[in-house]
Amino acid sequence: MATTASADDRLSRIRSVSDGALTELLGRIRDALDADSTAVLLLEPGGRELVATASDGMDTEIRVSLGEGFVGRVAASKQPAVHDCRLGVPLLVNGELLGVLHVRTRLPRQFSEEDVEFLQIAAERVTLAVHAHQVQAARAAAKALQRSLLPAKLPDVPSMDFAARYVPGGQSNFAGDWYDVFPLPNGWLGIVIGDVVGHDLPAAVVMGRLRSALRAYSLETTDPADVLTRLDRKAQHFEPGMMATVLYGTLEPNFDRLHLASAGHLAPLVTRPGEPVVFAELEVDPPIGAVRDVRRRSVTIDLPPGTLVCAYTDGLVERRRAPIDDGLDQLRATVVAGPAEDVCEAVMTALIGESVPEDDVALLVFRRKDEIGPLEVVRPAVPESLKELRAAMRRWLASAGIGGELAGDLVLAAGEACTNTVEHAYGPAGGDVQLRIELGDGEVVVTVRDHGHWRAPRGQNRGRGLTLMNQCGDVEVDRGEEGTTIVIRRRLEPEVRP
Amino acid sequence: MTTADLSTRFDGDDVLVRIAGEIDLANATEVQEQIHAVVGNSAVRVVLDLVDLDYLDSAGLRVLFTLAERLRVRQIGLDLVVPPGTAVRRVVEMSGLAPVARLLSRRAL
Repeated sequence: MATTASADDRLSRIRSVSDGALTELLGRIRDALDADSTAVLLLEPGGRELVATASDGMDTEIRVSLGEGFVGRVAASKQPAVHDCRLGVPLLVNGELLGVLHVRTRLPRQFSEEDVEFLQIAAERVTLAVHAHQVQAARAAAKALQRSLLPAKLPDVPSMDFAARYVPGGQSNFAGDWYDVFPLPNGWLGIVIGDVVGHDLPAAVVMGRLRSALRAYSLETTDPADVLTRLDRKAQHFEPGMMATVLYGTLEPNFDRLHLASAGHLAPLVTRPGEPVVFAELEVDPPIGAVRDVRRRSVTIDLPPGTLVCAYTDGLVERRRAPIDDGLDQLRATVVAGPAEDVCEAVMTALIGESVPEDDVALLVFRRKDEIGPLEVVRPAVPESLKELRAAMRRWLASAGIGGELAGDLVLAAGEACTNTVEHAYGPAGGDVQLRIELGDGEVVVTVRDHGHWRAPRGQNRGRGLTLMNQCGDVEVDRGEEGTTIVIRRRLEPEVRP
Repeated sequence: MTTADLSTRFDGDDVLVRIAGEIDLANATEVQEQIHAVVGNSAVRVVLDLVDLDYLDSAGLRVLFTLAERLRVRQIGLDLVVPPGTAVRRVVEMSGLAPVARLLSRRAL
């Protein structure tokens, strides 16, 4: 018989396949048995059904009940079986059924004893491969979940400086602590730090829900006490038994004042240049989920340029064998009105060091910058970005002390340049619009850049944008190979008020 | 997303449309459709109240010019309420809209 390979040959072929490559393994088994298809069906949790997980070739049942049909009977009996053009063997781990390895031919064929033996040996390899496959899938799912629970990237806010740290306690990958900073549609900024009682995955899952609910309520009102009241009501109803401390702040668009409310959360440290570091004077109300229908209060803190705020969770300052005041004193001694990233680093070094903390730790430091650096914003070149670009520009202009007609003209001119990019720079694939504003030598310079190719305006009533830009400042348009750059310059002259 | 809120009031043969919010490329078409929907051809005069409009650029001017042209063909007058010293007043003046629409500084009582 020369049609099928020898038994040794067949085995060596499937042994050379690495553990993880299940589909490749199935292909080799099919070839070795000269069959038309092979498939692995795995027992579902609950043990009543088998579901096709991997196959090579056509002709596979997707879902089979235990005990029914050829595959179902192999599974129920945990014994190899041959029937017409089918051969099936159980996949067993310590005698427990994992699934069925199933081989099929199109034409009638009598499988031999040798074939059955070969498939049983192959089943051991398949079991290993399936196991590796399941571990990998579980790992990928855990990773995706973990990523979704990580703090979001800190936003880039002109004239504000943010830095944060986040360390799950006890070597877990998940924490119930969180921080969050997000711009609101009305130009305000929402700033959150919180701590869900508990740890590891269950606390992290509740944290994810609270974080998202708080963001939703932040769209309704800029009063932090109001947002926490709504959050509390939601948590009381939908997450009974949970408890969390939350500090929520809303920062006015010109950054002058921070409104704060605390639901049982430790007061942040505030430091203004040349003044001692103090704990913010807060009205601390009960934690979220603790007491029904409590009245919550907000306080307002002035935030002159250079002011730094350091918010944290208790994991940063609490030690098993030391009073919490020791940690708080140490924190106060470490915080200075410097760059946020430096302060974060100094605080983590002083209070946590190299050791893995027992409890989750979150630290959020933000500072209102002294000097006005350039504003740099990159957004997708779509109409929806225009409002956001204007908001960023208005914030920057306000913090640079530019208002009135001058600010209006600059926003209009830059808005027109950005609109131009949105409308004319890119094909359907789209691209980015880059906006930069900076203070130069007695002038404001707005630069709008894209990486597309200029296309003449279409339709009626178009081309008015450039006319407006020209009336708002000195405009230079450079249409290069790499894209279009529009530079608008405007002298900084004192506003003449009527 | 840019938003503008429209409210309409009929005063005899006049249609008064109050627009609050902002108009740019993102919502200009929507605003245009809303204005056209409320202005019938029986109107003698259309008054656009832009007192509470915070931002208007060339995309919004396109809407105003298109409206002005359509009304001119139908012999319907167009007034814009744009208080002096506002960003919208400035854009309207820069754009050369004045010949096709009458600019009012205050809301009619």
